[in-house]
Amino acid sequence: MTTETHCPYCSLQCGMRLAPASGLSSGSGPLPARTALEVTEWPEFPVNRGALCRKGWTSTGLHRHRERLTQPLVRSTETGELAPASWEEALDLIGDRLLALRREHGADAIGVFGGGGLTNEKAYQLGKFARVAIGTSQIDYNGRWCMSSAASAGTRALGLDRGLPFPLADIEHTDVVVLAGSNLAETMPPAARHLAALRERGGTVVVIDPRQTSTAAQADVFVQPVPGTDLALAQAVLHQLVADGNVDSDYVESRTTGFSSVRDSVASWWPERAERVTGVPASEIRALAGLLGTAEKVMVLTARGAEQHASGSDTVLAWINVALTLGMCGREHAGYGCLTGQGNGQGGREHGQKADQLPGYRMIDDPEARSHVASVWGVPPESLPGKGKSAYELLSSLGEPDGVKALLVFGSNIVVSAPNASFVSTRLDALDLLVVADIVLSETAARADVVLPVTQWAEETGTMTNLEGRVILRQQAITPPVGVVSDLAILQGLAERLDSPVDFATDPETIFAELGRASAGGKADYAGITYDRIRDERGVFWPCPSPEHAGTPRMFLSAFGHEDGRARFHVVEHRGAVEQPDAEYPLHLTTGRVLAQYQSGAQTRRVRDLPDDGPFVELHPMLARRLSVEDGQPVRLATRRGEMTAPARVVDTIRPDAVFVPFHWVGANLLTNDALDPASRMPEFKACAVALSRADRAAPALAAAPELGAAP
Amino acid sequence: MRGERLVIVGNGMAATRLVEMLVARRYDGHITVIGEEPVPAYNRILLSAVLEGTHRAEALTMRDPEWFASVGVDLRLGSRVLQVSRKESDAMLVDGTTIPWDRLVLATGAIPTLPPIRGLVQLDGQLHPKVHAFRSLADCNGLLTALDERPGQRAVVVGGGLLGLQVARALSVRGVATEIVEGSEHLLSAQLDERGASILKRGLKKLGTEVYAGARAVRLTDEGLRLDNGYTLETDLVILTAGGRPSTALARQAELYVRRGVVVDGHLASITDPRVHAIGDCAEYAGKVTGFVPPAWEQAVVLAEHLCGGDTVYDGSRSVARLRASDLEVAVLGDPERTDGEVVEVTNPIAGTHRKLVVRGGVIVAAALVGDLARVGLITQLYDRRTILGAHEPGELLSAERATAAESLALPDDAEVCACAGVSAGRIRGCRTLDEVRGSTRATTGCGGCTSVVEQLLFPVGSS
Repeated sequence: MTTETHCPYCSLQCGMRLAPASGLSSGSGPLPARTALEVTEWPEFPVNRGALCRKGWTSTGLHRHRERLTQPLVRSTETGELAPASWEEALDLIGDRLLALRREHGADAIGVFGGGGLTNEKAYQLGKFARVAIGTSQIDYNGRWCMSSAASAGTRALGLDRGLPFPLADIEHTDVVVLAGSNLAETMPPAARHLAALRERGGTVVVIDPRQTSTAAQADVFVQPVPGTDLALAQAVLHQLVADGNVDSDYVESRTTGFSSVRDSVASWWPERAERVTGVPASEIRALAGLLGTAEKVMVLTARGAEQHASGSDTVLAWINVALTLGMCGREHAGYGCLTGQGNGQGGREHGQKADQLPGYRMIDDPEARSHVASVWGVPPESLPGKGKSAYELLSSLGEPDGVKALLVFGSNIVVSAPNASFVSTRLDALDLLVVADIVLSETAARADVVLPVTQWAEETGTMTNLEGRVILRQQAITPPVGVVSDLAILQGLAERLDSPVDFATDPETIFAELGRASAGGKADYAGITYDRIRDERGVFWPCPSPEHAGTPRMFLSAFGHEDGRARFHVVEHRGAVEQPDAEYPLHLTTGRVLAQYQSGAQTRRVRDLPDDGPFVELHPMLARRLSVEDGQPVRLATRRGEMTAPARVVDTIRPDAVFVPFHWVGANLLTNDALDPASRMPEFKACAVALSRADRAAPALAAAPELGAAP
Repeated sequence: MRGERLVIVGNGMAATRLVEMLVARRYDGHITVIGEEPVPAYNRILLSAVLEGTHRAEALTMRDPEWFASVGVDLRLGSRVLQVSRKESDAMLVDGTTIPWDRLVLATGAIPTLPPIRGLVQLDGQLHPKVHAFRSLADCNGLLTALDERPGQRAVVVGGGLLGLQVARALSVRGVATEIVEGSEHLLSAQLDERGASILKRGLKKLGTEVYAGARAVRLTDEGLRLDNGYTLETDLVILTAGGRPSTALARQAELYVRRGVVVDGHLASITDPRVHAIGDCAEYAGKVTGFVPPAWEQAVVLAEHLCGGDTVYDGSRSVARLRASDLEVAVLGDPERTDGEVVEVTNPIAGTHRKLVVRGGVIVAAALVGDLARVGLITQLYDRRTILGAHEPGELLSAERATAAESLALPDDAEVCACAGVSAGRIRGCRTLDEVRGSTRATTGCGGCTSVVEQLLFPVGSS
């Protein structure tokens, strides 16, 4: 038996088939739990056409894994250690503690933290559980740290946020694609095939990144700005487009508003001024603007490099301004898009695990939205809480007198992925109760009072929405191990114990149908999508309001999401990284990803066939010589928030005034800055000031295993 | 002071920036801006690009009157202040109206100085019809009109500074035969040394522009522009770019202390009267007047913060002067000719490049780059951030960047060829066909970027 499904990792959600490694077919239904699974190609799925990266090929490596959790763990009050418990015991304990906290401090003393890797059904159910079963406003998720800046900007400029408003394969048919802060050749390798196909057609690939990444190596034009200056670069490009007269005036006139103030605001961003700010020679800025200004079709795609800043949403707005000036948004094979990161980064932000949103991408403070969703849920609209705090603010409030006292975490490894992580860890420790649902004992689960073992990919069925807004179906291939239950079953069990006014289903397809009803009429309308349609059509693009509707692969072709149907230009100003290098911390630090790891590494670090070389510090040979550091030697990085030590990787592909550390391990996020974007609440992962020195050779152990903790 | 009346004299780049900053910081006083030019605030430093034809004139506006109205600022265009009274705390316009102020900002900029050339000015006090200044949008439009009137004209630019070079290049790009007269010994004498200037001069000559340095124009006659070395340059147009001086007439008349500019302290306040400020080209701080936009804007930011109750203090600026002209690459950081330090420099007349770093205590304190700006982005960052460099680094910054070596096909067996699947060259060599590579190693099945290398490893050139 072969099951068509999708990779458990990034937002590309590559199609793949799962089959027993023995090749023997064993009838229908999920395979027995101990069956060895093998990944094979699914060439017909259009996003990846059978291609996979090594993470995908090895994705069955977490099945039958020795570190897999198969029974609940409860921290013993006597020993302080986590000890096995029955499901009844664990859920009763959580239920009792939550009831007591709710009685004493109110429902907002309980927080829920979700993840962008959860299926649509789980994300939806988690939001409903928080608002209905607990009654708390305090729910948010790690997607805030992913693409929230692009989401905020897309909503403001285009009236609607769908990562890519067109299928990924459209890249092949544009003329120039600009990748602002995306290293897709490493973070989602099969996507790079579309770049290669574009280049074969004679198109041009532009990569903007402080590092000459493997994506940049495949680019025709590479621009290398100082970390945190993408906004200034976009302003200068726009300045030059205006100066050259490369404005699509008919389009600007008929499809947008607000151009003239933006045009005037970039009069002060001539290329030589931007050169001083961005470190990109003025001639390169002019050439880039010339390339964009004379191309028939241009696609601008942003990713975390441009977005994970305290001015990330303005940076995205600046690039959207460029795309709008060129008349590209809402035109076939052109426009603006965001390359979402997490597996369900898109769907995860549409169905109510965001502090200010209800299913269907509805706003929680919109009375109409509240009454619609409440009617689907069978509760009075006034019983729904209002807006809660965003992810980092929620975590900062943990254990504070008027903050959250108990936190339930689903699908997130906060200790590794939050900025300023040592501070966040102390907040977690200040909780009365920390509950973590995960498949392995992640760094966050290890700090929990109760750990709940849950099913993983391939052991359960559910939908995801990939970076294109295509709703796809991950189908169960194998029976979960004994002792493991789905997150959905946990929510049902807890809802009962919390005297929820309504019942919670556990069957994914039933929940998906309810999600469809709840989303009906909203921006992200799933009402017409069913599991059968997804199977038959290889995914369905939202919005899809009715069974007869074909879905919407390309958006904005006739109108944008605002009421007047027009896109909006927004005046933005360059502010730069909040923390600038100074005498004490003289270099820029930027963080990112490597090919063989995914996010906090809780999964991929445990896959035997993926290399786990630990973190490293990328630095330029000039800087290495300045510090007398050789390749492979341990170096210490220190910021105002923490420090870490890791081996040097000396490469001439990075700016000499910046260093890079991947964040998949404990370390990088001890250093990062927790300054937040005022609109999206995105922390500034991508730029802060750092001091670098050769690590003391007397303490070489630090190099092998970075210690968790702040300054010595 | 809450609700104070703030009057800004000038509507140029410094003034516009100040208003923007005050609005952004929600300054709670009432702002009046008095601009002498009749047009909305525009980006003056792009005028030479407009002349050159590389920047559209319509795209110069920085803030139109609607914007000023929308933020509640009283903008008076085409108004000139006749005099300022500190005693009465008001400003009188030429039309007789008086505007009371609690605080006054002078952002009056600079005015071009007329070089001592006989015949520049006619008996009626107007400039000779051949002669053009180049400071304002009106000057720029006047010159463009003159160019349009007749093709095939010749021009002489008086002044070999940044503006002169930009104007000369602009005219030349437009097909006007152009020569430059510079009174000092070489071009950009305030910024470059002899070697740098000679590289620049050769570059200009290649582009068809002759430079007469060390020569002063003394007289404009019907024959042309006569120089003090006896030459007469035949010409249809004379463009004056040599020298400007701070516009300080109002300040002097109001008895504020003025040396070259209005002397100000760290709050950009006149040392005579703390209610009166000066920013931009008309201000003098620590004995310096700047004449560039970035310092003017830094002053505007500091003053805005000060007026909004902040405690920021202006402490001078690090300047970066960039020539903006087609096919001429010049960047000058700080004052390389008058700054102490160790000099590291490379001049290559054959390639037409000259690069010089002045380094003190490991920090780049000044630099001049001519003809090769490949590293300007990095060098400027190191200069602005006062990064302490290693002893080898100034040299490395001036040497050519390593050319990217063509991927060697002699890859060692342990070299990773396919990052997506983590496959080494050796494992590829162990396969016979692409299908075998795909099936047994998964190489080429991810991003596909390694396909050509894999093919070359499987079927080396020359093998059959």
